[in-house]
Amino acid sequence: MIGYYLSLGFRSLRRNPVLTALMVLTISVGVAASITMLTLLRGMSGDPIPQKSDRLFVPLIDNRPGDGAAATNPEPPDQLTMRDALALWESGKGLRGTPIYGLSPPIDSGRPDLPPFFSDGLAVGRDFFAMFDVPFVYGQSWTEEDDRRGSQVAVISRDLSVRVFGEGVNPVGQVVRAHDQEFQVIGVIDDWNPLPKFYRLVGSGSFDTSEDIFVPIRAAIAREFDVNGNVSCNSTPPAPGFRGLVEGECNWVQYWVELAEPGERQAYADHLDAYVGEQKALGRLEAPLNNRLYDVRQWLDAREVVSDDTRTSTWLSFGFLLVCLVNTVGLLLAKFSARPGEIGVRRALGASRGEIFRQYLLEAGVIGLVGAGVGIALTVGALAFIRDFNARVALLADLDLTMAAAAVLLSVASALIAGLLPTWRACQVTPALQLKSQ
Amino acid sequence: MLRMQNLSKVYRTHMIETHALRGFDIHVKEGEFVAVTGPSGSGKTTFLNIAGLLEEFTGGEYWLDGVDVRGLEDDARSRLRNQKLGFIFQGFNLIPDLNLFDNVDVPLRYRGFGAAERKRRIEQALAQVGLASRMKHYPAELSGGQQQRVAIARALAGEPKVLLADEPTGNLDSQMARGVMELLEEINAGGTTILMVTHDPELAARAHRNVHIIDGHVSDLVHEAARGLAAAVASATPA
Repeated sequence: MIGYYLSLGFRSLRRNPVLTALMVLTISVGVAASITMLTLLRGMSGDPIPQKSDRLFVPLIDNRPGDGAAATNPEPPDQLTMRDALALWESGKGLRGTPIYGLSPPIDSGRPDLPPFFSDGLAVGRDFFAMFDVPFVYGQSWTEEDDRRGSQVAVISRDLSVRVFGEGVNPVGQVVRAHDQEFQVIGVIDDWNPLPKFYRLVGSGSFDTSEDIFVPIRAAIAREFDVNGNVSCNSTPPAPGFRGLVEGECNWVQYWVELAEPGERQAYADHLDAYVGEQKALGRLEAPLNNRLYDVRQWLDAREVVSDDTRTSTWLSFGFLLVCLVNTVGLLLAKFSARPGEIGVRRALGASRGEIFRQYLLEAGVIGLVGAGVGIALTVGALAFIRDFNARVALLADLDLTMAAAAVLLSVASALIAGLLPTWRACQVTPALQLKSQ
Repeated sequence: MLRMQNLSKVYRTHMIETHALRGFDIHVKEGEFVAVTGPSGSGKTTFLNIAGLLEEFTGGEYWLDGVDVRGLEDDARSRLRNQKLGFIFQGFNLIPDLNLFDNVDVPLRYRGFGAAERKRRIEQALAQVGLASRMKHYPAELSGGQQQRVAIARALAGEPKVLLADEPTGNLDSQMARGVMELLEEINAGGTTILMVTHDPELAARAHRNVHIIDGHVSDLVHEAARGLAAAVASATPA
């Protein structure tokens, strides 16, 4: 009977085209608003690296002066000093680890047709690529020896490779000039844009694209590559310029550690405490012990990647859908209440109240199904508008199959819910009364 | 086939009680063609609605093809209605946006027949009423007489035991009415019990039996006439 009722539902769409169009439009607008906001929210709050998000951690240390700063803001600084980041890295604790700081190196291709240009880069350890499952098109990461020596090697993005060396060219072994220094290309990474950009939430947009060039951090330090990101100093650096930044109590480096098992978290936290204890013994880190060890999801929450505005807007969009549903209830009541004659005939011919209920509810479901189609089209349009309007969330504003399926489910479920009252009313028709009045 | 005993039907509002049927007795045998007559408001339609399980009754007993229908749930009543009864209405009551095939298909869907069986029955029923060639047409494309034939085909397709007809010719001209009546007689000849409410004495005269309803109960015309004659004789006899 389900097939029969569905065919009746589709046939019924033509019965009162204006009313049908109004209902479809009402539902589809509500669904489009909700799915558009849900798509953005899902992109913002999704787990960017689900396979290991519970094994990747950001350690933070409170290096603020011991003058009660912790009382006003209990959270420690969101980055580390270079000294602490390198110390944690060199301790070798955890499966992998990498310090990260942002660069903005000018790239000189040496080609007369391509003038020098600025790009985004990162100074990292070799483990960066393995930790974050960065895919390679050509080559691979540099070696441990390169890390130790600060070799002038680089991993570049596919975009940069195409821009500098041309499409389809394997640039491994060739040289790219960054910051007036020659770096030998040893790897090219494939398109890689984790959303949110969890590995660099400080000093970069949460939904920016990934960087174009990655160099060993010791190479960047040795050549005093300026930081492109947030810098926060707790005291006057001991020396001017880059050297002072490296040696002072300035927080400008992120550190990530990958543990072999989530269960090793406590051991690493203990290690962090022990390190802070050592530093205190050396006369550093005056503030009381106030470390943090965030996994990926906690880090996204701590950085408030999903803003309250976004959450509020999503709730509002569902409120709007509710208003649309109330309107749809009214329209369905109008549509169904015009058909007591048909209901009476069907009841006389053997339809129970249950059969009438199923038929009319499925008819409402069909309206939801059509509404889903229109709603998906409206959602695609709305997301395209958002992409043009707000470059910051452009990468998120894309409707995937999951969200399209969610749109269909939401639309059909909404229509079914909206159809409950009109359908129940339809079931209350007294057939004898209707048959005589026909 | 259909037996009602001391049946009553009371319509109640918070102010008024209306006794539509009271002490209503009727027994219709299998294969009978019974015409139900009576003035407007006498309770004919109420009787037909109760007989058709479209309304519940207030008191008494009603047996349909051996089934005591008192207290049956909606599902059971609907199933019984679908399996045992066919309806023909004065206003035809075809569903306007279904073609003839799909209109006749409606009761068969609720019966749960497979597609092939439904098709066979629909084609046979439409052929029986002479409309096999028009099964893709819509009701609005047919005359009143043809629409009533489709309604009859729809009632017949489920091979009901009893056909309930409420003024089946009320909306038809005399020629069409004659055609429909002949069709009903033909159906009855095939063994289907027919209960027909009508105002038309000519049609009523063609039934096997007439049941006259006055003020919600069956009035036996022959018995009433005999009683009237006896009274007249008594009054004429000297004391």
